[in-house]
Amino acid sequence: MTPGVGFVSVLCCAEALAEACALGMKYLPLICSGLWRKPGRTILIFLQVAVAFALFGVLQGLKTGVAHAVAAARADLLLVHSRLSSIAQPLPYGLLEQIRTVPGVKLAIPVELTGGTYQKPTEGIGIVAVTPEPDWPTAFTYTIAPEYVAAFGKSRTAMLVRDLVAEKYGWKIGDHIPLKLVVAQQNGSSDWGFDVVGTFTDSDIGGGRYIVIVSYPYFDEARVLQKGTVNHFNVAITDPTLAAQVSDAIDRRFANSFHETKTESLREMAQASMQRIGDFDFLIRAVVGAVLVALLFATTTMMVQSIHERTPELAVLKTVGFTDRAVFLLVLAEALAVFLAGAVCGLLLAWLTLPIAARFVVGLSMPGVVIVIGLALGALVALVSAAIPAALAARLKVVTALGGHRAA
Amino acid sequence: MNFIRQFVALLRLSLSGLAQRAGAVLTIIIGVTCAVGVLVAMLAMGSGARRQVLAGVREDRVVVNSHGARGIQSSIPRDEADTVRDLPGIKRGSDGKPIVEFESVVPIEARRRVTGTQIFFPLVGITGAPFSELDPDLHLTEGRVFRPGLHELMASNPCVRQFTGFGIGDNRPIGGVDWTIVGHFDEGDTQQCIVFADAEILMSTFHNTTYTQATAMLRSPADYRILQSALETTPTLHLEVHHEREAREEAIRQLDALLNFAAYFVGTIMAAGATLGAVNSLYSIVDARRREIATLRAIGFGAAPVAAAVLCESIVLALPGALLGVLLARALFHRMAVSPFGFSFLLDVTPGLAAIGVVWALAMGLIGGLLPALRAARVPVTTALRAT
Repeated sequence: MTPGVGFVSVLCCAEALAEACALGMKYLPLICSGLWRKPGRTILIFLQVAVAFALFGVLQGLKTGVAHAVAAARADLLLVHSRLSSIAQPLPYGLLEQIRTVPGVKLAIPVELTGGTYQKPTEGIGIVAVTPEPDWPTAFTYTIAPEYVAAFGKSRTAMLVRDLVAEKYGWKIGDHIPLKLVVAQQNGSSDWGFDVVGTFTDSDIGGGRYIVIVSYPYFDEARVLQKGTVNHFNVAITDPTLAAQVSDAIDRRFANSFHETKTESLREMAQASMQRIGDFDFLIRAVVGAVLVALLFATTTMMVQSIHERTPELAVLKTVGFTDRAVFLLVLAEALAVFLAGAVCGLLLAWLTLPIAARFVVGLSMPGVVIVIGLALGALVALVSAAIPAALAARLKVVTALGGHRAA
Repeated sequence: MNFIRQFVALLRLSLSGLAQRAGAVLTIIIGVTCAVGVLVAMLAMGSGARRQVLAGVREDRVVVNSHGARGIQSSIPRDEADTVRDLPGIKRGSDGKPIVEFESVVPIEARRRVTGTQIFFPLVGITGAPFSELDPDLHLTEGRVFRPGLHELMASNPCVRQFTGFGIGDNRPIGGVDWTIVGHFDEGDTQQCIVFADAEILMSTFHNTTYTQATAMLRSPADYRILQSALETTPTLHLEVHHEREAREEAIRQLDALLNFAAYFVGTIMAAGATLGAVNSLYSIVDARRREIATLRAIGFGAAPVAAAVLCESIVLALPGALLGVLLARALFHRMAVSPFGFSFLLDVTPGLAAIGVVWALAMGLIGGLLPALRAARVPVTTALRAT
């Protein structure tokens, strides 16, 4: 199809949509009675549409939700990793002073990551060790009440727990929590204990759900191996627009040194992880395609059936002066009404189930654009599937129809 | 007996009339095809991932790692490694040495050949020579084995296929040093990219002092207990042993659960949609045959055979959809390479999945046929006959 034809057909579609809507307003009772002629059939089509769009909402929510999360990721927060490997290779704590002197750096906080379990080997918890310097939370995506931050700075064994962790295990402020870490202490034991001093929330979707924050000075002093190293540095910068320049400046400072670094903003990291689920795009599109094809077919045959059964009524409408065009639009309006109602309910259902599904898939959310796309798609499928039955209805010959013959 | 004769006659009657109701029939078939196709294709991800991970698993091979740790979090200090070599239960090779290999694993980034996407693969430093008695599935396909003490790599063939920069003679900067690819190898049927290097040179490049984990061959699968109790009773060791199957299943458990959840979630919703469509179509078929059914009832056919025939018709209509769906899934997705979360494998549409698809379709046919069957059984004979 050439672009011109495409444009014209889009225009025609929009025109038909507008006219069908206007007509719908005027002949609402007529449409209702048409739909309610066989309530069972209409309800079944409505349910089918709702189910299809519930699925569409969840799948599209997966795709768009992640894109949305990337856009929402902070560009003014840089992470300085080792260039060798961002996961496995530690950096020495001593790089901190050099990072701080790079122009544009507002605050740099060393971060060490490790893992632990609570009570059972299956209850994994991510441990984030940070230096409790003044204002340290500004270099993180965490939201922590000021009094908790103050309490965290006062005690060496203090621990801040993410709200999800506190909820899951019922930890309260003041509790002493024993954790088994993968890191051994000086005395050879891998059993650690921390005191809960507060809770926090995290806006970053990639940060892990079950995490706690402990004090780096205490953690580093107590462990046996890899003393004086950190996983990465969190860097807050003065001006978000300078993220790229500051990143380069930090990496240049350590170029050709024993500890080359790779600095990325949280947004860049989110983009990279989004590319990794790119393989699912094809699958999501295939599933949505299959859903819509099945729906299209089901509704078209149902509506053709319905038009056949209503031949005498449609003939009467034409006899009393409805034009072919009006009958055509009337059938379109019926389809539109069912589809839009179904799509709205389906998307609502998806929106309600998303919080549950988000437990399994990180980053699931349904921004408004998904709803808009869903409704537009619903209208499109309605028009396409109603086109054949509407044409059948419009081409009815009054004489033959009233004579008891079915539409061709 | 009478029931069966009536049922067969009714079923033949309704099936012979299907051609006139092509629209309704196609609706059922297409709906079921889509639902089954999607379910099978999505389940194929989980089965593909499992097949890949469990390929070449041996019952007499075990994995040793540090207590409570998983994956790259595990660490085995050198002194503990020396103790492990002398533990009982481990098989000795033809040279009389225990068949144990210590591995230092470092995740490294690579770029996809087609899309340029970044992906992580494990760079595994191994002690001892590759292609040892520990892994008979491993064989060199091109080039040569890396030489100990040099910055040389051997890449598995999936790396060469999927990523750039793995040709023989290619240089890769890893850890600030240029490494040369000197060989390609195959490891059974796996799609996972894996690269081998000498453990000592890799550990010195990354300033590691501990191995990540160890793989050992047992004298026999029954010697697992002996090794396990030896590990537990040696006070200097903080290690635990797992069957290779167990360790690999543990590694994939989360991904497997996620993929299966997604498959059944989407599959169930699509099946619900297809069932609704089938109910609607069958209703219209039953309605169109009201007079026919009423006539049959009038000449002595019972309500039960009528209902059973409609139910059976619904199931019979679902079956071609099931077969079509399975065939489509197999044609479109079988052996398609995917790498969600940086883990590469081929989708695998197995006969088991096909069976699940067929069962799924039968369930759709059965549930979809229930209400229309009831309506058919309840057709009021006199009014239906009088109707025009």
